[in-house]
Parts: sequence; C-alpha cells; structure tokens
Amino acid sequence: MNAKKNQKTKSILIIGMSGGLAKITTKKILDKFPHAEICGVDSRNLDTTNYPENVNFIQMKYTRGNFEKLFREKKFDTVFHLARMSHSSANPMITVSKRLDLNLMGTRRILDLSLKFNVKRIIILSTYHVYGALPENPVYLKEDSALKASIKYPELRDVVEMDQMATSWMWKNKEAIETVILRPCNVIGPRLNNTITEYLTANYAPIGIDFNPMFQFIHEEDMSNVLCQSIESISPGIYNVAHPETIPLREAKKITSDGGIPTLLFALEKIGKIIKQVWTFPDYLIHYLMYPCIIDSSPLFNQLSEDFQFTSRQALEDLKSIED
Amino acid sequence: MAIISPCNNLVQITQSGNIGEKVKTIEIITMKSLKSLFSLFKDSSLTKEEYQSIHQKLQKQYGSESDPWGFNLEKAMKSLKRTYPIYKGYFQARLFGKENVQDKPYIIISNHTGQIAIDGMLITTAFATELEKPRVVRALVERFFSTLPFVGTWVNEGGGVLGDRHNCQHLLKRNQSVLVFPEGVKGIAKSTPDYYQLQHFTRGFFRMALTGQVDILPVCVIGAEEFYPYVYQAKGIAKLLSLPALPLSPNLIPLPSPVDIYIGKPYTIPKGLCADATDQVIDEHIKVLKDQISDMIKSGLEKRREFYFNKRPK
Repeated sequence: MNAKKNQKTKSILIIGMSGGLAKITTKKILDKFPHAEICGVDSRNLDTTNYPENVNFIQMKYTRGNFEKLFREKKFDTVFHLARMSHSSANPMITVSKRLDLNLMGTRRILDLSLKFNVKRIIILSTYHVYGALPENPVYLKEDSALKASIKYPELRDVVEMDQMATSWMWKNKEAIETVILRPCNVIGPRLNNTITEYLTANYAPIGIDFNPMFQFIHEEDMSNVLCQSIESISPGIYNVAHPETIPLREAKKITSDGGIPTLLFALEKIGKIIKQVWTFPDYLIHYLMYPCIIDSSPLFNQLSEDFQFTSRQALEDLKSIED
Repeated sequence: MAIISPCNNLVQITQSGNIGEKVKTIEIITMKSLKSLFSLFKDSSLTKEEYQSIHQKLQKQYGSESDPWGFNLEKAMKSLKRTYPIYKGYFQARLFGKENVQDKPYIIISNHTGQIAIDGMLITTAFATELEKPRVVRALVERFFSTLPFVGTWVNEGGGVLGDRHNCQHLLKRNQSVLVFPEGVKGIAKSTPDYYQLQHFTRGFFRMALTGQVDILPVCVIGAEEFYPYVYQAKGIAKLLSLPALPLSPNLIPLPSPVDIYIGKPYTIPKGLCADATDQVIDEHIKVLKDQISDMIKSGLEKRREFYFNKRPK
C-alpha cells in the first residue's frame, strides 16, 4: 500500500529528454514507478509516440522564464539534469558562449529553481572527463581527486566548472535539498550516439600505435539503472560510475570495429589543429586516447542494490553485436 | 685502435704495421664480434621449455587479461623473450641471494645505476626468470616515461607503473611486489666521479611499506655504472629541455659490462610504527637500509668479474 502511495506521488523532471540515455532511463523509471508523472524537456525534437500518458514531453528553449513556469506549475520532487552539452561538435554551429551559457548558467538556473520550488532531490550527470587524462594520473581516481581537466584543455572549462559549481552548491544546501552528482566513465551502448560510441564503431577512426591506455566502459543499461536508483537508493553525494574491469583501448577498438587507422597520436595532436576544419574530433579527446583516467567507483557499489549487468568487455561486445 | 668484443668483454688492440693491414684486422675482428654477438644472443635465449614453465607459473598468479595499469602477461612474456638474451648473454647477469626471497609481496629497493634505467629491466628479468616461484616485479617509473610514445606503453605492458603512492598501495593490496629506486633520478643520473656512491634516499618507500605492512627487500646492482664509463651530466640543458637528465657519453650503446645482482636479507617493518611517523623516526630505519645496500655494494665490487672499464668507488 505504501509502495503504491509512493509511486503515485513521484513527479519527475528530466532535462535533456531527447538524449539516448534519458530515453532509456525514462523507461526504467516507469518500470519501477509505473504511476510516476514524468515531464521531459529538451530544446531538440522528440518522438513521443511510444510513451504512456503519464510521460509529458515539452520542447522548449532553456530560458529562465520557461523553467520557472515549469517548476511553478508542476511541483517536481525529483529533477534529473542530463542536458550537459558536450564538445563532440555534432553541431558545429554551437558556439563556446552558447555552451557556457547552457552548461554553467543553465545548470545554475536549474539548481536555484529546484531549491526555490522545494524539489527533494536533484541528480546531475557530470562526466569522468573532469579529472583529465594526464600521464601522471594514478590508477583509481577517487571522487575527491583534483579536477585537472581544465588546466590542460580550456575547452573543458565549462564541464569542470559545472561539476564544481554543483558540488559546492550541494554542500551549501545539503539541509534543504538532496543532490547526487554522477561522474560516469565512457557510457556506451547501441542506442547512444555520443563521441566515444562513434569513435569505437567507426572504421576510419585513429588508433594509437604509440599509446595504448586502459579504458573503462559502462553499458547504457547499467548507467540508466544507476540513474534510476539515484531517485531513492543512493545517498546524496558525488559518485564515480564505472565497472572495475579495465581494457586496453586497442583491444576495445578491436572488439567494436573492423579496425582503425594506425596513427602516431603524439603527432595527431599537432596535425589535428591543421585539419580541424574537416575533422570534428575534439582535441582534448586525443589525450584521453593517450593517457589513463581510471576511476574508482567503490563508494557507489556499496550503495547499489544490484550489480552491473555488463562488464566493460560485455558492453563493447553488445555495441559490436548491434553494429553487425 | 680499440674494439670491444661483446662475447668475452675484452678490448683488443691491433698492433699491425701498415694501415691496410690494420683496417683488414679491424674488419675481421668486427665480423667475428658480430658473429659471436649473434651466437651469444641465440645461445642465451630461454629454451621453449623454460619459457613455457615461466609462463605457466606466472599465468596462475596474474591471469591473461590486462590489469588496470596496463600490465599484460602475454605481451610481457614476448618482451621477456627479447630481454632475456640481453640480460643473460650481453650483460652476463648473475643473481645472488635468491634464498632471501619468500613467497610474499615486498617493496624492493635498489641502488639506481646505468644512466638509462637498464638496471630496472635487469632486476625485473631476474625476478621473473631466476626464482623458483617467478614473479612480475612492478617497477615504479618516472612520470616522464608515461609521456613517451611507444616506450610508455611498452613499460606499462611489461609491468612498469607510474611512480605514485596510490598505485603502490593498490599493487601491494593485490599482493604484488613493487620495485622502488629510493635515490630517484639523482641516483641514475650521476657523472663518472660519483659512480657507486649512494645518493639521498627519499622516505616515500618506507612510508608505503608501513601502510601496506610489507617487508623491504634490499637489492644492489653491480656492473651497471660501467655501461657508460665516461659520462657528463648536462644538467642545464636537461632543465631547458624539461628532461629528467641528459647524460653525455662517448658510447651511445651500453657496454657489455658483466652485471651482478645481489638480494639482501629482508628488512622487517617495525611493529607499531605508524606510516605518518616523523621524518626523524623514519630516517633511522632508512639509514639502516642505506648502510645495508652500501655494504652490499662494497662486497659486490670486490667480487665482481673483470671488465676493462671497471670503476672503483671513492
């Protein structure tokens, strides 16, 4: 009876609903809380034909006015912020200032509104990229490791600042609102269209002959499970999300594609600057193909009610099977 | 005219009369040297049975998958195939004190010599091939290595790990032995007059041993200083180029100086001593270890084999 009552009271906002991960997470939330009222927003378009009535999609610009109206009318108790704009240059028209506005100012607006309108819990999707891929990285970066990405890659400044802003905000308002910040490793899966998935499945992508760092991967199903469990099961805090299994990048690439272009990565960085106009691969990711950034997610594992379904290797194999 | 014959480490001096004969003699000696070098590498390779036996024993401990630091047994074994002839044939390495190694993890500390960290490769090869229960010693390497194309990956695949306290602690938790050179770059990057003189020992390794509650195994390498008998350290240029060291030597390839590796008696970590003890307390223990290695160097130098460029410490 109690469970049923809980299910009815869930009112969830998902920002960035058009993303692959948001769609999978929505389905998982509906499995767990069939009566939850879910409101998904995105500035992009979304096909909503397969969703039940209690899922409401709103296409809107991410302005303060629009969000304020939404928060005032819907009275959410859980907010998922999955709308971080990446640097994948999928849309070259997105300028740095636009990205900064969305990732920093946009996040700030969402945090402030969540506090103002008495949201109980906010879940923010950050990334392991905040740690930076550096030659001096020890294996197993913990959540309290320094966020060094922006020192080397100015283009990641907004990602690091967004994470830091959310973290300080979390401590400041810990009595008023529960905040969960997730820093997943490379999320891959057949329904995702992010940079690392594109890289792994592309046959023409560069593969280092001079560097072969270890990588961690998390399957989209496991990541969406973690997001889903963040609603109730996970205590407020910052968590790395990764399967403990690590795999060399060359081996990962072998599993997911027929090969790549053998490349001297240390030279590619320089060449990349010249051919930037025709090649949209982000500069900073080259370093992630050269140096390790292995995270420790044991604090999260201590709280999850179920284990991950996929190891890094299985996640890669699943990606490959769909490609075939 | 001096020619170094790698097979027997002799320096042969031609004493023929005219220039034509001299050149001919040099050619003959060079050809002989190359032939003997080739046969020496061939003769000192691991036999198929030895290789398989080591592989099987190591596979039981380490498995076949890469670990989070990039160590991959299959790739390490391939490297071992290439490095063993260098270890056994070219440097004619000998290992003493095997009886001091028990089947448990250690922090192995050694004097650092040879200008280009070949001593690390020799120690790891010795522990992988000469012990009854072979083991992959995880050498903590200078950060500079990780930035080098090809080298960084090769080092990691062979068991090398970035010199970092967290890495060391995680490896000890996994029951792996870690090789540390407490002198750091200062030890390896010495000019000729300082050969075989131990430099300042850093304290990190002792604190890591206390944290991991593992004993310390002192090791000393004799013969590696003579790989490059005459070296000038261009410290200023190295600093300008952001290099850890820049040794200038007349020979680019290390000379075939015979190497002896001595494993000393393990140093048991004192009970009740905290890893955060003051430097003063830690230094007392480090002094004992440094003296132990220093004594091992002295005795090793007395017993070493003849080589033309053998150096004596001051």
